[in-house]
Amino acid sequence: MPVEANSMIAILPEIVILTVACAVLVIDLYLPDERKDINHIVTIIGLATALGAISLIGSDKVTYAFDNSFIRDPLSDLLKGVILIVTLFTFVYSRDYMQQRQLWIGEYHVLILFAVLGMLIMVSANNFLTLYLGLELLALCLYALVAFDRDSKAGAEAAMKYFVLGALGSGMLLYGISMLYGASGGFFGFAQIADIAAAQGTDNQLLVFGLVFVLIGVAFKFGAVPFHMWLPDVYQGAPMPIVLFLSSAPKVAAFAMAVRILIEGLGGLQTDWGEILIILSVLSFVLGNVVAIAQTNIKRMLAYSTISHVGFIFLGLLAGTAAGYTAAMFYTVVYALMAAGAFGILVLLSTQGIEAEQLDDLKGLSERNGWLAAMMALIMFSMAGVPPAVGFMAKLLVLEAAVSVGLVWLAVLAVIFSIVGAFYYLRVIKLMYFDKPQLEQPLVIDGTATIAISINGLAILFLGLFPASLLQVCGVAFG
Amino acid sequence: MGFEKLLFYIFAAVTLFAASMVITRRNPVLSALYLVMAFVSSAALWLLLEAEFLGIVLILVYVGAVMVLFLFVVMMLNIDVATLRARFIHYLPLGLIVAGIMVFDMFLVLGPADFGLDQFAKPQSQPADYNNTAALGQILYTTYLYQFEIAAVILLVAIVAAIRLTLRHRPETKYQDPSNQVRVRKGSDRVRLITMPAEPVPPSLTATLGATHTEMTE
Amino acid sequence: MIALSDYLLLGALLFAIAVAGIFLNRKNVIILLMCIEIMLLAVNTNFIAFAHYFNNLSGQIFVFFILTVAAAEAAIGLAILVVLFRNRHTINVDDLDMLKG
Repeated sequence: MPVEANSMIAILPEIVILTVACAVLVIDLYLPDERKDINHIVTIIGLATALGAISLIGSDKVTYAFDNSFIRDPLSDLLKGVILIVTLFTFVYSRDYMQQRQLWIGEYHVLILFAVLGMLIMVSANNFLTLYLGLELLALCLYALVAFDRDSKAGAEAAMKYFVLGALGSGMLLYGISMLYGASGGFFGFAQIADIAAAQGTDNQLLVFGLVFVLIGVAFKFGAVPFHMWLPDVYQGAPMPIVLFLSSAPKVAAFAMAVRILIEGLGGLQTDWGEILIILSVLSFVLGNVVAIAQTNIKRMLAYSTISHVGFIFLGLLAGTAAGYTAAMFYTVVYALMAAGAFGILVLLSTQGIEAEQLDDLKGLSERNGWLAAMMALIMFSMAGVPPAVGFMAKLLVLEAAVSVGLVWLAVLAVIFSIVGAFYYLRVIKLMYFDKPQLEQPLVIDGTATIAISINGLAILFLGLFPASLLQVCGVAFG
Repeated sequence: MGFEKLLFYIFAAVTLFAASMVITRRNPVLSALYLVMAFVSSAALWLLLEAEFLGIVLILVYVGAVMVLFLFVVMMLNIDVATLRARFIHYLPLGLIVAGIMVFDMFLVLGPADFGLDQFAKPQSQPADYNNTAALGQILYTTYLYQFEIAAVILLVAIVAAIRLTLRHRPETKYQDPSNQVRVRKGSDRVRLITMPAEPVPPSLTATLGATHTEMTE
Repeated sequence: MIALSDYLLLGALLFAIAVAGIFLNRKNVIILLMCIEIMLLAVNTNFIAFAHYFNNLSGQIFVFFILTVAAAEAAIGLAILVVLFRNRHTINVDDLDMLKG
């Protein structure tokens, strides 16, 4: 079977990213230390080109390639676009930080680009093999990135914990896949497994058995309670720009993984996985919001906040309706933007020789840089779910989806705990506006980063005021 | 057929024995060696399942490369073994309970009732001229081309990441650079021998030198 | 005659040993990495057994890729271990307590 040209066109974004990653790997060898910015420029151009490629080949039609192991549909177009945009933000925000710490080297760009490639592959996977390979490509890059500052004691410890628990999660996922392979009689494509799941349902014991292990694997990758142990430690130990990357784009890829496995593969068992997701969802938003209050380290606080947001994403998925899936996807996209913005501001704050790791480091930010404080306040309002920021809309949609399938108690519980969670988000705003700064000198940040953070912050406000366009795009993905 | 069954039980028993030794040994070197044993006997089981290529790969790649890497790291790190085991007994009951529950569940689902010979008969053996490697290669480079390329990228990432994490340039280490040595030109770069007249020695120094000289000869 | 269930139970036992090992050896990172290798061995045995009884080569392909990824994973895991040992002079999990809150 010759490789068709159509297949090559379908994977154009992946090809662009791979080419750029390899180009940076080679160019970096010939660059003197003071001209490492060329890596940055090549990377930015590459990411923008990949975005262009997505819009070029994007359409409402679904394309399959490489013997049905690759799928390009509206869902994959949107999620890939979000991943690339968030990665662009990551590079722009992290430039000064990495430069000041002698970490502005080619490998940083190369590993992030390969991680992006892994995510694009995951988003477009149409069988378990492709999904697994994309996932591992992403995970291997992230393990190395967490330990990227190799003189950091905390970084090495975080990387080790992340590696052991990540590998354990992959092991669970693989065991589940091997069971599904057996249950379907020798197939690992999502379509074939969906056929078996629709025809036999829970009569096929092996299918349910495999589902449990696969779900554990997915929960590990999302960081849902009780498989969240790695998340706060990794956030606290990793360098700030890596946390910025880790907390935003991979969550989008994890959402794609959940959609492909649970909805497209095991949609026939929706009632079964829905019940397990209810448990994971409740545990996540309860534990995440409650423990976050006790944190003094802002990275740890945002880690627990991530866990609570994962609970909300699951809330949309477990409803099992098209509206629920759309809401979950809307929530994921919005979350990625909020996380990129919040950690982006922390990265920008850390550039004058200090690490903005403690909540106290945010004290009096409004006096030092008013615009940055305003953007942070906007993001915190959005995370807390205060209108008109988009976080409110996202929470409203998932709650609506849960109520529409009769899970009113669950929705009420979620509302109660998001009110509990509002406390620690609003505490950040209080620190920024009503406390005296620890450092008096004004905070100056470079122009590109200011523009990027403004776009990021105002997008959150804009989407909150006019959510219809994004909502419609999300809706198309679930037909 | 009876002989094959005997082989299965022998190799399965060896695999399980070796795997349980891996997790109970005090010394990581012993654990690594038992893991090698588990891999070799598993490779034999894979041969029984007519997966010849993977059986060989398991020994060549896993035992030959990955386990050697493990041993290398264990030796390099020089770990204090005694402290690592202090609370082993403490975790034993929990470990056994978790493993016991899992095995029980798995026996219910995977037992002979659902996957015995009645449900899945032993397939016909492949003919003698069947080539497992060729058959795998055939689909690997056609149907699974995309995945094959991704695997290549994963290996590239492993190289880049491992080098980034562990390669250090030590400025205090002295080493020869042959390319610099070759590039040396005659004249300006080489050591030059200069003829110069002897310096006159100041009188005070001559006196002390002379004194020492006489002392030493005595 | 060896039944499919024999192989699946062998895989299940190996998997259980790996999980028990992770509980027992919470202190020693190297043995934790080896437990993960045993877990992958269990998965591979399952895939090859299914592939043989279904007379379907795709399971063997999956194992081929798992082996590739596992080799890359081991290389990165051991590299992180070396970095950890250089920075902290220990690989005892109990000593890894910098990250708390």
